[in-house]
Amino acid sequence: MGFFSSLDIGASGLTAQRVRMDIISQNIANVNTTRTEDGTPYRRKDVLFEERTGSFSDVLAAASDKLSNGQGVRVTKIVEDTSEFKKVYDPGHPDADEDGYVNMPNVDVVTEMVNMISASRSYEANVTSINATKSMAMKALEIGK
Amino acid sequence: MIQGLYGKSNIMEKALNASIARNDAISQNIANVDTPNYKRKDVAFEQYFADSLNRANMNDVDDIQPTIIEDKSDNKMRIDGNNVDIDSEMSYLAKNTIKYNALVQLINSNFSRIKNVIREGK
Repeated sequence: MGFFSSLDIGASGLTAQRVRMDIISQNIANVNTTRTEDGTPYRRKDVLFEERTGSFSDVLAAASDKLSNGQGVRVTKIVEDTSEFKKVYDPGHPDADEDGYVNMPNVDVVTEMVNMISASRSYEANVTSINATKSMAMKALEIGK
Repeated sequence: MIQGLYGKSNIMEKALNASIARNDAISQNIANVDTPNYKRKDVAFEQYFADSLNRANMNDVDDIQPTIIEDKSDNKMRIDGNNVDIDSEMSYLAKNTIKYNALVQLINSNFSRIKNVIREGK
């Protein structure tokens, strides 16, 4: 127990949201990428979050039938969205098939923008929790002054 | 006699520890606001404390420990199984910080009273 674990938890939240933001940027940047290394159009990526537990104190708490606060959050995996590519009619495009259709990435810019706002708000919430912890820690130094 | 002077700061130390544990729990809830199936955590302390004060036996107070509890209720506003409501968490965070600061101020005023006695009110 102590302030540093609260700060670590806040920091893990910041890291997770930043990874999410990186992936969203990657999706938006590749909104028109029809050719990746695999030869297919770009597939939209998504991050999976998981509560981080498993430190010694967590295991000990679980063994003695107690709950622990845990260690924050972590990104377990970056997964590809397997939904279908968008078909666009563009016969002049070098990647067009014989009917003139091009497979475009399954990135929807509106969805990405909404996720981006959500990620940045969550990031701000974590910053607020870190600042609150910091002010409490500084206040603790005043005890007995 | 001096035991009586320090007795209160013992209780307040317990309350401070509970406050720090709650800060941990709220930070964890905020960090996991986007984690599917996460259930929010909270710290139970005040109710135990009030119960033991009602029993009017100060020895009981020493046994009280802040306990972390999990809120299993469903948030009907969300479909991902997560029941964290970010607005309530932020207000809990503010409330907890203020409570902590108030406790520190109380402890300080308690200490300054003891100091005053030691200096014979000079």
